[in-house]
Amino acid sequence: MSIVSWLKRWWLDDEDFDEEIRAHLAIAADERMADGADRRTAHFASLKEFGNVMLTTEAARRVWTPRWLDALRDRVSDVRYAIRALAKNPAFSLTVVGVLTLGIGLNAAVFTMLKSIALTPLAGVDGSARLAVMFGETSTGRQVRVSYPDYQYLRDHDSAFSGLFGTALVKANLGRGRGARQIWGEVVTWNYFQVLGVRAERGRTLLPSDEIAAGRHPVIVLSDGLWRRDFGADPDIVGRTVEINNDRLTVVGVADPTFYGTTVVYDVEVFIPVMMAPQLGFKFGSQQTTPSGILSDRRAALFYPQGYLRPGTTLANAAAETDTLWVALSRDRPLTDAAERLRVVPFSQTPNGAPTFLLPTLGVLSAMGLLVLLIACANIAGLVLVRGMSRRGEIAVRLALGATRARIVRLLIVENLVLAVPGAVLGVLLARRGIPVLVGYAERLAAPERVFFNIEVDSLVIGFAALVACLCALVFGLVPALRSSRVDLVSVINEDASPRGAARGRLRAGLVVAQVAVSLLLLVGAGLATRSVEAARRANPGFDASQVTAIAVDVKQNAYDESRGRLFYSKLLDAARADPGIESATLAENLPMGFLDTRAQRVAIEGYEPRRGEDLAFMSNSVSSDYFRTLRINLMAGRAFEDRDDETAAPVAVVNNTLAQRFWGGAVNAIGKRVRVGEGDWRTVIGVVADVKYSRINEAPRPYLYLPFLQSYRSSMVLHTRGAAPVDRLVEQARAHVAALDADLPILYARPMSEMRRGALLLFDLTATMLFIFGVAGMALAAMGTYGLVSYTVKQSTREIGIRMALGASGLSVVRGFLARGLRLGAVGATLGVVAALGVSRLLGSVLFGVSATDPTSFARALAVVLGGVTVATIVPAWRAARTNPLSALWHQ
Amino acid sequence: MTLHSSRPDARTDLLHGTLDMLILRTLQWGAQHGYAIGQTIRAQSSDVLQVEAGSLYPALQRLAKKGWVTAKWGQTEANQRAKFYRLTPAGKKQLLREESRWTELVNAIGRVMKPALAPGTEG
Repeated sequence: MSIVSWLKRWWLDDEDFDEEIRAHLAIAADERMADGADRRTAHFASLKEFGNVMLTTEAARRVWTPRWLDALRDRVSDVRYAIRALAKNPAFSLTVVGVLTLGIGLNAAVFTMLKSIALTPLAGVDGSARLAVMFGETSTGRQVRVSYPDYQYLRDHDSAFSGLFGTALVKANLGRGRGARQIWGEVVTWNYFQVLGVRAERGRTLLPSDEIAAGRHPVIVLSDGLWRRDFGADPDIVGRTVEINNDRLTVVGVADPTFYGTTVVYDVEVFIPVMMAPQLGFKFGSQQTTPSGILSDRRAALFYPQGYLRPGTTLANAAAETDTLWVALSRDRPLTDAAERLRVVPFSQTPNGAPTFLLPTLGVLSAMGLLVLLIACANIAGLVLVRGMSRRGEIAVRLALGATRARIVRLLIVENLVLAVPGAVLGVLLARRGIPVLVGYAERLAAPERVFFNIEVDSLVIGFAALVACLCALVFGLVPALRSSRVDLVSVINEDASPRGAARGRLRAGLVVAQVAVSLLLLVGAGLATRSVEAARRANPGFDASQVTAIAVDVKQNAYDESRGRLFYSKLLDAARADPGIESATLAENLPMGFLDTRAQRVAIEGYEPRRGEDLAFMSNSVSSDYFRTLRINLMAGRAFEDRDDETAAPVAVVNNTLAQRFWGGAVNAIGKRVRVGEGDWRTVIGVVADVKYSRINEAPRPYLYLPFLQSYRSSMVLHTRGAAPVDRLVEQARAHVAALDADLPILYARPMSEMRRGALLLFDLTATMLFIFGVAGMALAAMGTYGLVSYTVKQSTREIGIRMALGASGLSVVRGFLARGLRLGAVGATLGVVAALGVSRLLGSVLFGVSATDPTSFARALAVVLGGVTVATIVPAWRAARTNPLSALWHQ
Repeated sequence: MTLHSSRPDARTDLLHGTLDMLILRTLQWGAQHGYAIGQTIRAQSSDVLQVEAGSLYPALQRLAKKGWVTAKWGQTEANQRAKFYRLTPAGKKQLLREESRWTELVNAIGRVMKPALAPGTEG
């Protein structure tokens, strides 16, 4: 059977059929002519007898078309009709498409981020969300790391875990001389890669033999990114040496390209076996110890052990088992100041971990996204309702002509779908474009720190968001569509207020109220977020970063020993201070507002007996003379460090106000008292300075100590200079001073100090930006929706307006009447919104700063905007209606 | 006999089945073209059943699709080109089935319409 004849079995052969009909007509005409009719009459008579040729052909064709094709053709004509109907009302159609685009786009973006951080926090690690993390907790609730000996014990005895590895984030200096730079590295136990299931792209990962003795195997694993960027993807990389902290390590492998370490936010570039930590001089944890003590001292807190639980083990079981082990260990081998208990938490709650910061924020954002979607749905429902009502006439005519109600509803649903599909497509595009933009924005904010988020445009998530939004649109469009189809023919024809008018009014009023309420909620959220950022920016961090530079160097990178280092730094300060463009110059080990806490050390206060289990570990900073003057930190009592506080002089310290208040009851009382940091000398307190925000803008006041640099040498310091010139010039100036002393010394960074605060504000900035976008989008949607509904109500009442004005009512009173009605709805919505906002804004607590969750200003602003929107949405159409000639209003319908 | 419906192949339609049966029956005596089929039914029913072309041709397509008739172009006695329909063996079987069903139906209706007659006396 040829293709053609096969097709003929499935489709009507049109030509053949036409010929058959012509033959039929010819035969019929011939018979008539045989009966005596003339040719013309015969021809027309047979045509007439035959009937409608087109219809017949169509019917014959339908015999051959399969049912589904037939149904499809029906749908296509529905769609075609819907497009035609929607094209007639482009404002409505574009609005709905826009609303959906925004709703889907925002939600898809937020869900993608939430899903990434919550479910796949680590790139290149399957099931990374299932990782469990262990940490110690002191009696005061401080979270502490676990020492290497304790880790070993837990690894060998804790049967709740199928494997337990340790990792600690470090900043490693890569290379030597000018080309050296600081990169993120992880100091890891050998089984790190094994437990995570990360393979080597080249060479190998780590082996048990890499963890036998300190310094025995100087090896390193590189990240794929580092291998490509710094080594040109050298195929012979395995066996080459790289320099880390001036020590040579042999590359044994390159990790899988999908793997970026376990920090969730940073792009970790090297993985170093823990046995190399003492030799490379990394510093960890809260206890001072000798370098070799890192691996042997039980008080040297090193890392949070983590791993996967054995199948069938719950987190609670693991926590109980781990804690039992810990209690037994503490009893057998007691240790002062040990963590009171060990806790096991899911990876997302890692102490100081990125997910711990990010997830609450993303949760808030998701909630906001859902609210926007809710508004979008209410909006669509309103628009469909209004449209359905303005098409009452058309629908009535269709019903009168015999269309079934199902058919009408189907048509309206098809119209909704025709709107939903482009909305969904655009929304998906928006999300696909928007997510990389957002991630890029975060990366730029973090530069020059290398960050990496495992946030991928996930088609499944985006598709799901689009599907949900379309379903919402359908469902929300269906209710009004059903209502529209229930047109009372008589009432439409009589142009009368139907008894159902009241019910429709209620739906309309409900939609207005709902939109006002939800938009108020969004606006309050956006307002609170914006005010938080303002507050965080305005907040006094306790120091003045403007006109101050920060130039970081580590003289160890050029193999300086302590005496050469001291000389270098003293020359550097002298040179800077001799510069007429520099008002003051100083050195500091740590920058304030560095986002992450720096090392806290145990502190002894003379004459103060710590309560049992009291946790006295505070952060400290090694600074040179002029530090407080350069950063404009207020000196409250005593004196600041001077150059005479050197290694030959009596040991001294400066404490902050919180410490002085807590132990001596005041700044003045603190002068002359003695403190000891770690295992060091007893130091006399010579000064008390005001508190500073040491890590984050929203931290609580905490005790802090400053030690004179000359009595506590560090190889890695930051030079701060203050001057009157533009800050970028100041940076170049300071950089030149460093280069003049040692042109080969790598500068780790050289930036205006104000830029260094960005990290501390990053999360606020991002959250606030998103919340602001959501607030504005939600408000815009709600305003459009409210305007549409109200103006439609007004339009519906054109007759009423006409009658009232014909009876002598003034335009003003008409407007006033509508305004009262509109504001009544607005007030109900606003009240509901305020109640809801009061209820849920407390959840925003984690992302707020400096404003209370019930901040009256934010509420007042939101109320003003919402009620203003309702007023405008009412007045404009009412005024327009009132201006129309009463007579024409009456004629209108 | 007016047949208009948006779904010409609806099986439940009694009239469709009937028209199909009438066509098959007409073809029992040999191949015929469309016009002649209509004329035959009309003549045999003494002008009671007037089959419109709008029903006849779709019905013929339906029968062709089911494989009960085949069509072939040929010449009429008056030497005109026309498409002739011929019963297939399957069509013959179908005709028998339709006939017995029809008889059953007519009997049933008859019994309903003339309940006085004892059931079963007719056949």
